[in-house]
Amino acid sequence: MQIRSARISGFRNLQETRFDFSSRVNVVVGRNGEGKTNLLEALNYFALGRSHRGARNDELIAFDAEALHVELGVVEESGAELACEYGLGRNNGRRFRLDGEALRRRADLVGRLATVFFNPDSIRLVRGSPQRRRHFVDQGIAEIDPSYLVHLTAFQRALKQKTGLLRDVRHGAVDGRRIRDDLEAWNREIATHAAVVCRERGAYANLMTPFADAAHRELAGDEETLRVVYRPRLETAAARVFTEDDAGAPGNPLETPSRTPSEGNPPEAEKPGEIGSLEQDIFKELSYIVGSEIQRGRPLNGPQMDDFEVRLSGSPDEGGEAPGLDLRTYGSQGETRSAAIALILARSDVLHRRRQVRPVLFLDDIFSELDRERTRRLQNMAIRAHQVFVATARPDDLGDWRPADLCAWRVDGGAFTQVKDPTAPL
Amino acid sequence: MAHRHDPNDGGEFQSPALERLVRGLSRLPGLGRKSATRIALHLVAKESPAAELVEAVNEAREQVRNCSRCGAITEPDPCRICTSERRDPSQLCVVASPVDVLPFEKAGFFRGRYFVLGGLLSPLDGVRADDLPFDRLASRIDEDGVAEIIIALDASVEGETTALYVQRLFEGRDLRLSRLATGIPVGGALAYTDEVTLQRAFQFRRGF
Repeated sequence: MQIRSARISGFRNLQETRFDFSSRVNVVVGRNGEGKTNLLEALNYFALGRSHRGARNDELIAFDAEALHVELGVVEESGAELACEYGLGRNNGRRFRLDGEALRRRADLVGRLATVFFNPDSIRLVRGSPQRRRHFVDQGIAEIDPSYLVHLTAFQRALKQKTGLLRDVRHGAVDGRRIRDDLEAWNREIATHAAVVCRERGAYANLMTPFADAAHRELAGDEETLRVVYRPRLETAAARVFTEDDAGAPGNPLETPSRTPSEGNPPEAEKPGEIGSLEQDIFKELSYIVGSEIQRGRPLNGPQMDDFEVRLSGSPDEGGEAPGLDLRTYGSQGETRSAAIALILARSDVLHRRRQVRPVLFLDDIFSELDRERTRRLQNMAIRAHQVFVATARPDDLGDWRPADLCAWRVDGGAFTQVKDPTAPL
Repeated sequence: MAHRHDPNDGGEFQSPALERLVRGLSRLPGLGRKSATRIALHLVAKESPAAELVEAVNEAREQVRNCSRCGAITEPDPCRICTSERRDPSQLCVVASPVDVLPFEKAGFFRGRYFVLGGLLSPLDGVRADDLPFDRLASRIDEDGVAEIIIALDASVEGETTALYVQRLFEGRDLRLSRLATGIPVGGALAYTDEVTLQRAFQFRRGF
């Protein structure tokens, strides 16, 4: 997928500009605050249906404008051209159009323009909170199966209701003994959707592991094995989607080698009855803890507490069969960064494998986070399969990178000038 | 420029009475301030239907009630559906609110009776099982000799959970429990059916 052109008006500090992009590499250089990230944000907005920085309409619309409008010329894998448009108004109005036709639901937007966005924040994926990893995986699943979002949203809604119910008990608004039947109904609804969420998360971890491992080997330039391992909080889910015998003791670097196969999680069962019985098992497990939940006044288990381990184990001759180091806790700065980048690239590979779509890749100020060697490898990996947009404040970070079909711009105060040599000093 | 709507100086109308009327009307469902203003000006005009309206509202408020047996909107209590000999008492359709009875009655295919829950389980809105008339539903089932319950609740998380609750409540009894199916609307184009509806329709596909 490629963004071939863009017409942008009224977006933050960007001057009204029409861009014709390279189908391979586009570089924007400029000092901080001049508008590099704003351009990437404008290009990425349609893909997400929102700002990747979580900005409101009012912040996105130029201070002297009433509305903003962005029109993207997109080319799909099939060669089909797509006009993606969006407009935002100060009164919170939003319009999305696809080939001139208005999209009514935000769900209709999902997957139309696929993008992957890297910035210094995204490389905290491995070190950061479990919520960050859950969100990353959930987004990845939704990209390849939009119906997953329906189950995820329903699960979250039912959980919110259950949380409200338990909160009422904690605050003494209702007697804990009187809500057992209520809780049972909510747990049953939660189990229906949690079964899908757990199963899909486990399957996705398996699906992405070989891609993440390959990307990591190339990026880090060594023979260590990277694995993404789903760690559901529910024991019944753990038993179903993850049956390795070392399910305990996550992150213990002293674990003895030879207990875990290095092939990642075993393939998940695809039997039709699977979801039904996982659902019942989850319901039983949730029922088992109802008493403690009433006592504590909050939900104590469920997919909202899931996590994903990112494990790195040595090459075969130094014990590659070992469960490896849990990078969430024991990874060095460099290791967690490489692993995070490998995971994000793997998400693109999974999307390509399942939907034959290559997302557009945004690299916002990312090279300054990596050493020269890894920067160069990432550059080469990125352009092999994707159209790439690079924003950087330090032209030096580009090094001697001169891929074919490179287009470059300099930005000053929101004004873009096309330049021949992106590394010329600012 | 936005107008100030200070009730004390009568807002944009130079009339506190009119301002009060507009505010009252704009609190009605489906009415914004603009429509409320149009209606208010119509009501205070010379040929105003206001007097008749007031009378109609008062009469309706006096006459209309919820049926003490099923909860539907009615004048006679119990309602005609509950007392009609031609309705089958063995089939009971459980719905969330009185308006949910209307589409069934308009379509006219259902010959059983109704039971209105008056809401759905939703702790965030302060609704727990204790707040819904499940004990009345149970005695209704006994009294009328109900043989089948058709659960017709919203396909939302709250609707599903309430359906699960009803199912659990009566699953031990000698009762047929069923729920409305979800699927492709009649006359609907397959190409424009959303993924989830399609998935459900596929999951619950029928043999010929």
